[in-house]
Amino acid sequence: MSAKSGTASPARHRGRMPEGRTIRVGEIETAYFDAGQGETIVFIYGGNFGSADSAPSAPAWDLNFGPLSKRFRVVAFDKLGQGYTDNPARDEDYSMAAVVRHAAEFIKALKLPPVHIVGHSRGGFAATRVALDYPELVRSLTIINSGTLSTSVSTNELVLSRCPHKPFTRESARWIYEGYCFDPKTVTDDWIEVVYEVMQQPRYREGVRKFVDEQLGSRVFLPQLALQKRETLNWLREGRLQRPTQIIWGYNDRTATVAGAYELFRAVGAHLRQTELHVINESGHFPYREHPERFNALLGRFVSLASA
Amino acid sequence: MTTLKAETVQVQGLPTRVLRGGRRGAPATLFVHGATPGVTPYCGGAHLWGAVLDRFADERQIVVPDLPGSGATGLPAGAFAFDALVGHIDALIEALELRDVYFVGHDLGGLMGLILAMDKPERLASLSVVASAMSAPTGDSLDDLVFRSPPPPRWSRASQSWALERVSYSHLALDAALLDACAAAAEGPAHRAAVEAMAGDGYSRRLAPSMTRAKMRLWEKARADGLAVPVQLVWGSHDPTTSEERGAVLFATLAARQTATHYHLINRAGNLPFRDQPDAFHHVVAAFQDGVIEHRAAAA
Repeated sequence: MSAKSGTASPARHRGRMPEGRTIRVGEIETAYFDAGQGETIVFIYGGNFGSADSAPSAPAWDLNFGPLSKRFRVVAFDKLGQGYTDNPARDEDYSMAAVVRHAAEFIKALKLPPVHIVGHSRGGFAATRVALDYPELVRSLTIINSGTLSTSVSTNELVLSRCPHKPFTRESARWIYEGYCFDPKTVTDDWIEVVYEVMQQPRYREGVRKFVDEQLGSRVFLPQLALQKRETLNWLREGRLQRPTQIIWGYNDRTATVAGAYELFRAVGAHLRQTELHVINESGHFPYREHPERFNALLGRFVSLASA
Repeated sequence: MTTLKAETVQVQGLPTRVLRGGRRGAPATLFVHGATPGVTPYCGGAHLWGAVLDRFADERQIVVPDLPGSGATGLPAGAFAFDALVGHIDALIEALELRDVYFVGHDLGGLMGLILAMDKPERLASLSVVASAMSAPTGDSLDDLVFRSPPPPRWSRASQSWALERVSYSHLALDAALLDACAAAAEGPAHRAAVEAMAGDGYSRRLAPSMTRAKMRLWEKARADGLAVPVQLVWGSHDPTTSEERGAVLFATLAARQTATHYHLINRAGNLPFRDQPDAFHHVVAAFQDGVIEHRAAAA
């Protein structure tokens, strides 16, 4: 496992993100950003491999990276099979379990001290699993708008299915993210361009082909996630989560509704004193992009408190 | 509270006890306590806040009054109505020449903050409404059992201890300094005057209707165009006086027309979340203020 810098990464976020780096995590070449010093924050974005309409990557955190890197070490990496990280080597690794393993192995590969892990949406689920399965790697947990961690009905398919635009286009990405956000103006050209560049890679297209055409999504990913979700929610109700936890939720999310936030708070808080819930008005699925100054203040204060 | 000093400030002719301190020149944070004078079975005053003030004093200028009829601030003669309480705090802000106040109001103080935010938005930079049973809509609620049978004699140290324990997540959040201050407040002329004013139907005929009228105006404002001040609601997970659902209804009401509205739940906290979980309370309120401060700096 060796770290190197200067790999190809989209140009649009330069200035808000440092130069990208890569590190081998097992057999997976993993792209990441790393800046600042001190208590370490690791971000895990949402989504999963195999989407032809949109494609998140580590610069999703570009409004948080700079401000927080003044006080903390901040690390954002591309998940297994997403962004600029290699696809899974085996078909059976098109799974959330493999994504969680890769995330934990990445933290170990960078030899990070116990981290403040921050996960959004599907990434909130992955971050929670890292905190449950590898508590020695985690100092605190921040969960953002994670329908994956909610028993209430996820309305993604109701709100965002049948995108009217061609796959792998700027238009499809814009349609998806505008559907996620409270204010469509927060979906900037820069954001869309980063997503578009990810979707143009042959490797990314290959992942979509396997996920959709070879049906690894319906044959592997979703059934495994359903199993792991039941297990995870039971574990939360049983009190296995033993790190300070804050839940941050955009109130106007049409896909992961706020009812899930209250439910999650009650499940975790039943066992864990240091549990907080923050509901942010006029924010959809991406409070860290729609209200970055609020989000950064909450996260910075929470990390300081959990480090004390 | 070593950094805070008690002063007496003349506010519209009423000598008003105020604790002040913290960082000079930093944003002014005004802490307005809860408890209805002469009614709530424990005595309100600046002493309710406790050691959480020290956490704020590191970064903020701190102003912590005793409301009229509470602590060491007397009760003016005449009808005692909610509007007079709001008018007093408004006049205090003017008397101290505070600009862009970060208002933190607990329970009754939270409702005062909402009314001030509605009527004089230019006074406030932000508003934190804390565990405010007084502010939340109640609908056709069940009769309130929380303070059903305070042990006599009322407002004795033991009786106030009972009342504070009823509304707290943990009795361990109540220290001797708090109970001593509550007992001392009960002996003071302010409390005795408030009890007299509220006796008989004083509360139900004067104070309660004035509060209801203020709330009706607030709902109308929230429906029509919202408040012009960023507002956060900070609720405890185990508050017997106002549930997280009631806080959520108040949040939804305010959030309908207002941009910067946040709702926070602090775990293992009752009606005095700043005592049950002072670290979390400080983190939640200070982070909200940080966001407002940064937003204002960017806008300026």
